[in-house]
Amino acid sequence: MIDFIQNTVDGVMFGSSYALLAIGFTIVFGVMRRLNLAFGASIMLGAYMGTWLHVHYQVHVLVVAVTTVACTVLVGIYVERLCFHAVRRDAALASMVSSFVIWMQLEEAAIHLLPERTYAFPGLFAAGSYEAGPFLFRTEQTAMLLLAAVMVGALHLLLHRTRFGLALRATSENPLAAAYMGIHRTWTVLCAFVLMSLAGGVAGFAILATDQQITPFFGLWATFKGLIAMMLGGMGSLPGAILGGLLLGVVEAHALWYLGAEYRDLSAFLLLFAMLVSRPGGLLGQRILSREELAFRRV
Amino acid sequence: MSYYLGLAQLIGIHTLLGLSAYVLMLTGQLSLGQAGFFAIGAYCAGILTVIFELHIVPALLIAALLAAFFAFLVGFPALRVKGLMLVVATIAFGEFVRLFFFNLSWRVPRDGIHVGPDSTNGFREIRYFVANGWSAWEITLFVWTFVLLVMAALWWTDRSRAGAVLRAVGEDELAAQSVGLSLTTVKVTAMTAGGFIAGVGGALYAHTATYVDHLTFTVLLATFAISYPILGGLSSVFGTLVAVIFIQGVLVEGLRFMGDWRSIVFGLLIVVAMNLKPSGLFDARTARLLRRAVGLRGGEKSRA
Repeated sequence: MIDFIQNTVDGVMFGSSYALLAIGFTIVFGVMRRLNLAFGASIMLGAYMGTWLHVHYQVHVLVVAVTTVACTVLVGIYVERLCFHAVRRDAALASMVSSFVIWMQLEEAAIHLLPERTYAFPGLFAAGSYEAGPFLFRTEQTAMLLLAAVMVGALHLLLHRTRFGLALRATSENPLAAAYMGIHRTWTVLCAFVLMSLAGGVAGFAILATDQQITPFFGLWATFKGLIAMMLGGMGSLPGAILGGLLLGVVEAHALWYLGAEYRDLSAFLLLFAMLVSRPGGLLGQRILSREELAFRRV
Repeated sequence: MSYYLGLAQLIGIHTLLGLSAYVLMLTGQLSLGQAGFFAIGAYCAGILTVIFELHIVPALLIAALLAAFFAFLVGFPALRVKGLMLVVATIAFGEFVRLFFFNLSWRVPRDGIHVGPDSTNGFREIRYFVANGWSAWEITLFVWTFVLLVMAALWWTDRSRAGAVLRAVGEDELAAQSVGLSLTTVKVTAMTAGGFIAGVGGALYAHTATYVDHLTFTVLLATFAISYPILGGLSSVFGTLVAVIFIQGVLVEGLRFMGDWRSIVFGLLIVVAMNLKPSGLFDARTARLLRRAVGLRGGEKSRA
């Protein structure tokens, strides 16, 4: 029983990083009804720029953090201009494929920047842990959970208490009506991408600072984990992204413990497939699914 | 010369992969799981010729049927999801298959060495062609026989009632249903056919490459599979062939002189091609121009 609870706690801790990635996906999907499959790769490239500074100039970890987030945003804007803004409105599919192809490009750029397989990534604090009763918590994972909570709170305020948030939600609800109200669609979409990349950059930095190493595989990993978490929770739903991330973390932790390491990713994909087939909108996304049936029809 | 033959084999195999996605796209289904069926075909055919020492043709057919069977099974749950959700569901399936083969280890001793898939180390020594003394010419001919058979079958299907049925479901499901077509039958059939074609491609790939491992069958391969018909357009099977030649022959091989920078230019060129021609390089307009150029009456059969 104690094992079970400990696994669940670990899962929640780890799931908070998935939740952060899923939030990024959900913002753009909510506004555009499109998937940005280059998301993980843009975080990876941003983090590589940060690592590059760290490797060559031994800068402080906070500088690495700022560089990571800033470069992720820049790369995010590049992806938006090339794969989403430039592609015709009715060709959602073409932009998804383009964004995936761009992933190759970004990965190549990262490898050119730092050609070795693995680099150390500076951690925020030394790895440590503390005990509460029979349970063990890792310090850096607790920090990640807190960070996720803070970011969700900030995003909630931004979306529900500011004019920009209102514009974003209006575009998400009904792009045409929003355009009639004088909301500039292109500009809103770009802002959504910036927001996505901000969330992704922070998430990427937090995850890498916990792992303390970075490889080019991080891009695909981040894309998949964020995508699975978003799909589980519900597309385009902020609470759904958090729920999906935590659920994914818990399921993976249990699969790791009871079945072994090789079943960890296997169980995640099986869960996703089962969820999509039984409840295509995810846990909390059913409403969006019925409202936006057009978006899910032939793309 | 062997370099060009190798390239021809690669183009043939990728054409099969692209056609498997093409069949599905005719019915409006977009699948990023084709790499999974390709992997099933590759591993199964490899196991049959290496461990059971079967002849290549039955091994290939059994592997393709097995891939088709799995596609059939995936077809039913896949009916419930459309568009982007289907894309993600099939990514999940493809990755699931890949991770399954990542964990699969089945080694048997043969002539003093162990052969068979060896989980993380991949599946080495699929030496059917070498062991039986096939020349590169014969292998290329063998690959292209299957490519041409599949292309001819699809071309014929497209001109028969079956093609119209597939396209009707792809154009408008509601209208197709209201004229009495069963969506379940049509979509699952397309899925099964796609699985079969991908399985043939995978089986050929495993034997020409002689080595496969799970990293061959990532979602990147699946992206290639769908980019061929997207880039080539859905007006005919030749679009897919043109796109494969364009990507594998012109872009991948032609940009080799750029060395490490190739991927960067490659990605950019595909994006530009998609921006310029969202309905495919070989769309109805190009087809009409070509037809006029070779002296047939243009625009007569404007189906797309």
